Amino acid sequence: MGITQFCFGLSYLTAFGLELYRPTRPGRWARLAGIFFAVAGLLAHTIFLAYHQPSPASPYGSLLLLAWVFAVFYLYGTLHREAYAAVFVLPLVLALVGLSFVFTGHGQDGSWFTGESFWGMFHGILLLLASVGITVGFLASMMYLVQARRLKMKRNPIGGMKLLSLERLERMNRRAVNLAFPLLTVGLLLGAMRLWQTPHETGGWTALKITSTVGLWLVAALLMFLRYGAHLPGRRLAQFTILVFVLMLVALIASHPFVPGETG
Amino acid sequence: MNVRAIGCSFRDAPIDLRERVAFDDAKRDLALKDLTARFGCEAVILSTCNRVEFYLAKPDGEPPPDGGIMAEFLSEHHHLPASAIRPHLYELADDAAVQHLFRVTASLDSLIVGEGQIAGQVRQSFEASRKAGATGPLLNALFPHAVKAAKLVRTKTGISQGHVSVSSVAVDYVRQVFDRFDDKTILVIGAGKMGRLTLTHLRELLPKKILVANRSPEKAIEVAAGCDGQAHPWDQLDDALIQADVVLSTTGAPEPIVSLRRFDLLSPKRSGPMVILDIAVPRDFDPRIHDGERAFLFNIDDLKRIREQTIHQRQKFIAPAEVIIEQERRKFVDDWTRRRNGPVIAQLTKDCDAKRQAVLNQLLGKLNGKLSDADRAFIEGAFRLFQNQILHGPIDALQVASREGGSASLLEAMRKLFRLNE
Repeated sequence: MGITQFCFGLSYLTAFGLELYRPTRPGRWARLAGIFFAVAGLLAHTIFLAYHQPSPASPYGSLLLLAWVFAVFYLYGTLHREAYAAVFVLPLVLALVGLSFVFTGHGQDGSWFTGESFWGMFHGILLLLASVGITVGFLASMMYLVQARRLKMKRNPIGGMKLLSLERLERMNRRAVNLAFPLLTVGLLLGAMRLWQTPHETGGWTALKITSTVGLWLVAALLMFLRYGAHLPGRRLAQFTILVFVLMLVALIASHPFVPGETG
Repeated sequence: MNVRAIGCSFRDAPIDLRERVAFDDAKRDLALKDLTARFGCEAVILSTCNRVEFYLAKPDGEPPPDGGIMAEFLSEHHHLPASAIRPHLYELADDAAVQHLFRVTASLDSLIVGEGQIAGQVRQSFEASRKAGATGPLLNALFPHAVKAAKLVRTKTGISQGHVSVSSVAVDYVRQVFDRFDDKTILVIGAGKMGRLTLTHLRELLPKKILVANRSPEKAIEVAAGCDGQAHPWDQLDDALIQADVVLSTTGAPEPIVSLRRFDLLSPKRSGPMVILDIAVPRDFDPRIHDGERAFLFNIDDLKRIREQTIHQRQKFIAPAEVIIEQERRKFVDDWTRRRNGPVIAQLTKDCDAKRQAVLNQLLGKLNGKLSDADRAFIEGAFRLFQNQILHGPIDALQVASREGGSASLLEAMRKLFRLNE
């Protein structure tokens, strides 16, 4: 198959370039060309994933799958003329695709349904869904901080890029993290059970993947407490959510004990 | 084209004159009837706070009434001497009138460029004239095109972006913080005039509750009654501040009524951020309360600064907007010219085609068998070229005359010269 990460990465990059170009020369053609490249990138990305079926439990697979989910978000946002889609979501997609380059070969050309045990796959999917939630929370938090800064500086409320209200961004963040936390918890418990059953395959309890994921869970739990127990204001919660996202990236890219060839 | 725009606006006419020559709905309908009956012309009257304008058209024949006649007309309808009106009237004809209407509708001729009301007012004025039977083919084509051109200007440039009233800017800020208002409480402190205007905008957000606090309980009750709110005791202002999500403060107090210390004391009892619109002079809230987390405080200077910025930003869209207006003016004039002359030109061309074909058939019949296919095609082409060259002059002259507004006599001449009616 001729499609590589480079193909859709370049398509997304071109779409991003066109998004940056658009404010300087407003017009229909730049927008249509941007959508064309985004659709082409997403199509190539989808075919690539369907053909290679990378394991969601591998860094390579999870980054590409996460990038695909947010490429869909971007396309939806840009079709609805939401300016933040290009400014916040597309760079994230590019970063995830770029990171997946680093892990090419780790978990590539597996199979979504036959390569791993059902529980292993279920564990991977739960963690991937939790990652989607945390990433949505991260995007909402980034936008929240930008919006809060604009308001603190008393900038023109409807000048420049149109952003959602603080209340809506806070709600988006809350819902995303509320959804992600139980998924992360169940995914983590499943992982712990597998680790208990097959400790020799996994690199043990001190493997970077295990410690970083446990660390992620603890910080996510702390975030839940700060929100519902300590009633921290929105800006602090947004900063904390960004920290959770960074830890999630560390956990994702840390070598995974269940992928053959990446143990220990 | 035979259309005239005659009127006065804020640019040349003082407000007392504009007020006296303005038309309410009843007066306008009466004037429209009078105009059509007396002058036999199509008419639209546009009467707003900033302008009173007549758009008069006669698709055929003599031109519509001029400025002098309309000054007399206004004088009769408003009981003012015509000599007091005439110096303030401007008069634009044909292309210039079309361009003027397009500029007015696109809000390029407004007191605040880019304001959104005028396009609606133009549309309403046209509809009123149409219902009164005062419009005809020319104005029925012109006004919808003007509205379309204004929409193009609005969508293709940023000329309508942003708000230019202090109260609208205040609401814009509130919307940047909050998304829904059915669970929000608005606290109004004081009862200034500007505050009431802003409150009108805030009420449109449909908040859950409006509390009104005033040193004078009677005043609080009066303001609360006017906005479906509840009067709140002045000595319990802190309680109201704890409940409130949006505060609109507009007292005439000489000192700040909410100091940073007072706010810090009540802040732990609150949940969520608060937007404070302090439009009082001197200010009611200590500006240090604005921390971008617990409180977002905007005072009158902040709001006015944004308004000035918006007005300044709109200026840069005027040039692109003028280009669109010019394109649309040309398009309208060309379309109208084509529409007016189309039937005559079509008939002329058809007649000439038939005559050319008859002559050709005769000629080719006589030369039958002596010509190759290429010769026949060459002769047919030559006749067609000859016909086109002959007709080019009259058709071009007709188009030019139509653009300049004097095609009626030329059309008649062409009908007679080429016997088009026969």
